[in-house]
Amino acid sequence: MKKITAFLLAGILAGTMYMPVPVFASGAASSTDSTLSKSGTDSSETADKGKDDVITLRVCNWEEYIDTGDWSEDETIDLDSGDIFGKNSLIDDFQTWYYETYGKKVRVEYSTFGTNEDLYNMLTLGDVYDLICPSEYMIMKLMSEDQLVPLSDHFYDTDDPNNYYMRGVSPYINNIFQTKEINGEVWGKYAAGYMWGITGIVYNPKYITEDEASTWTIFDNPKFRRQLTIKDNVRDSYFMAIGALKSKELTSARFLNDPNYHQNLEDVMNDTSPEMISQVQNYLQDVKDNVYSFETDAGKADMITGKVLANYQWSGDAVYTMDQADEDNYTLNFAVPKESTNIYFDGWVMLKRGIGKDMEKQKAAEAFINFLSRPDNVIRNMYYIGYTSVISGGSDPRIFEYLKWNYGAEPDEKNTVDYDVNYFFSPDGTGNYVLKVPEEQTKRQLSAQYPSSDAISRSSIMIYFNPEKNSAINQMWVNVRCFNILKMPPWGWILTIAAAAGIVWLAVLRVRKSRQGK
Amino acid sequence: MKFSRKTLGIPYSVFLILFVVLPLVVLFFYAFTNGQGHFTFTNLTGFFTDPNALGTLLYSFAIAAVTTIVCLLLAYPTAYILAMSPLKSKSVIVMIFVMPMWINFSLRITAMKEILTFLEGNLSMYPFLNSVIGMTYDFLPFMILPIYTTISRLDGALREAAMDLGADERSTFLSVTLPLSVPGIISGVSMVFLPAMTNYVVLDMLNNSTYIMGSLIGSYFAAYNWHAGSMIALILLGLICLFTLLSGSGEEDNQRGGALL
Repeated sequence: MKKITAFLLAGILAGTMYMPVPVFASGAASSTDSTLSKSGTDSSETADKGKDDVITLRVCNWEEYIDTGDWSEDETIDLDSGDIFGKNSLIDDFQTWYYETYGKKVRVEYSTFGTNEDLYNMLTLGDVYDLICPSEYMIMKLMSEDQLVPLSDHFYDTDDPNNYYMRGVSPYINNIFQTKEINGEVWGKYAAGYMWGITGIVYNPKYITEDEASTWTIFDNPKFRRQLTIKDNVRDSYFMAIGALKSKELTSARFLNDPNYHQNLEDVMNDTSPEMISQVQNYLQDVKDNVYSFETDAGKADMITGKVLANYQWSGDAVYTMDQADEDNYTLNFAVPKESTNIYFDGWVMLKRGIGKDMEKQKAAEAFINFLSRPDNVIRNMYYIGYTSVISGGSDPRIFEYLKWNYGAEPDEKNTVDYDVNYFFSPDGTGNYVLKVPEEQTKRQLSAQYPSSDAISRSSIMIYFNPEKNSAINQMWVNVRCFNILKMPPWGWILTIAAAAGIVWLAVLRVRKSRQGK
Repeated sequence: MKFSRKTLGIPYSVFLILFVVLPLVVLFFYAFTNGQGHFTFTNLTGFFTDPNALGTLLYSFAIAAVTTIVCLLLAYPTAYILAMSPLKSKSVIVMIFVMPMWINFSLRITAMKEILTFLEGNLSMYPFLNSVIGMTYDFLPFMILPIYTTISRLDGALREAAMDLGADERSTFLSVTLPLSVPGIISGVSMVFLPAMTNYVVLDMLNNSTYIMGSLIGSYFAAYNWHAGSMIALILLGLICLFTLLSGSGEEDNQRGGALL
């Protein structure tokens, strides 16, 4: 018996020793195969070259933030300048395009994150990426910590036809990226925009009027008690609270007509003085008792199923929510609060720890940004994820055509209005970028995807707060969410003391018992 | 080649070291250091002087305690009836009680959310009640099983003796069955009470926006304050150890009940 076992074990051991070789070999072969088939070249020629000349690009992006292809035939976007169709994922397409354009193979390792904070924690824990796509405040944090590689000079060269980003970026967005700065450096030195948007309120027009929804104070409106959701996120809640607390001041004629209006607005919306923080805390505690919930993702579904009447939403998600509701023949609208709206940007930045001094890799990373900025890919992305790209297309008309395709009024439609998006498309803010759209679109998807110039005029960015301010605000948030023991009613104390006494009594009993046992 | 105790223990010891001991060491390190990596007690003192942290501890405790009591009230009679019933295929019935646990947890809570919305109209009006209902739903089988195992293992002769000696049903139960089933109750309580203190997913999904211990730890980590977060986790660990020591014994019954899960 023993002999048989020993024999068997030896056999298994020998088997496992040989096993890894074929497994690894086939693994390597299949991976190069897939890259080759994607680049559409003869496989026998490149098989010998080995792995070394494949550039690996580690990209980390938001979840569901890129077109993954596989569209059905009827999803084809038929623009005047040609059809746009998502066959493969944009990542596969990029690998093919890069090989065809630069003759080098690149393999994209794509991963995703859920929140900016998650991403930052992942980086702190030692995950290495070359290219990531955080929001503007996280970009500012990473810039201030000197973690980023600046974009190369070539990236800004608009003469290169492959530099789709600089050739196509919206003048409005580019202006922001080239003027907003932290520690004396502009964002545009390190970051290229991807998507942008504003914050607002999706509401059910059956129960809530446009006026009621167009203000941050809706969240403590007792009329809608327990029927609204807000974001479970300290920055969004902070912005909302300031907007609501300063509602009167922000909408006063004196404030609006001040020549320094925009600077003043940003100062107010980014006020992190201790007094402001404590006011916000009190306000959010009231809001907490008035809203249905603080949500991270459930808000969209709760809105569509009618559990809540209004929710705080980012514009891209607002578009998605309204689209879904439309499919169920259920109308939802979008309102931009009259006080101010938070304009935000997600942008690509390259990490020092990933890219280092590897020029080939940096070139591939910048090409990735450019490829995603090519107008047809921009449209695919926008169609797929509902957010708004920072690309206006420059001399390429397709983005504006997509807007017309998506929102333009039918020729025989009544009740149309002119919708001006010159601020986004035109370098000097004037021109022919005016859409004729059904009137309802001024408070529906269009107003969320491409906010009106009126909404843009009262938009404010939310800067990165330094670590000290940041921890004060985070503590404020914890205080809002926690049950404060000092606010406990007397009967609570009585119960607590009784429970504590009970536990102590049990403990004493137990000790006694064990002593007796001995 | 022989499979000695040593060799058989290797896989688990590797697992233990990698995923239990090592993280614990890291946890201790973070809990007793500050942002600069210096040794400090401020995280510890910070917790016990912060009314919000203490309030959260109390709130979690309250939710867990109420959940446990409700579970016990529901589970004991059920387990008693099951164990005492003359049915032959008891294990099938027990299976029925365990069956909900085979369905994904968040799926069950989502379904529960719809039912509660239907019953209450607006979920967010009763956050505490909803949390307790959700947790009870989730943890009830953990309470039923150990109690059921204990009662069904009781020697029937003891009850018969009590009856013969003139005790009626009620006093037989109170002075024989109940005291003898205490080990089952204890292990049931510890299997419900401790997870209920930290299971914040239930609260999140049922729209209770007040933090409990689990969510408090999470919020500190999201705010990059790993030190305070680790300390809270450590304090919770300490409390759990304390409770386990207090409840003690009952381990054998645990195993029996656990085998069914």
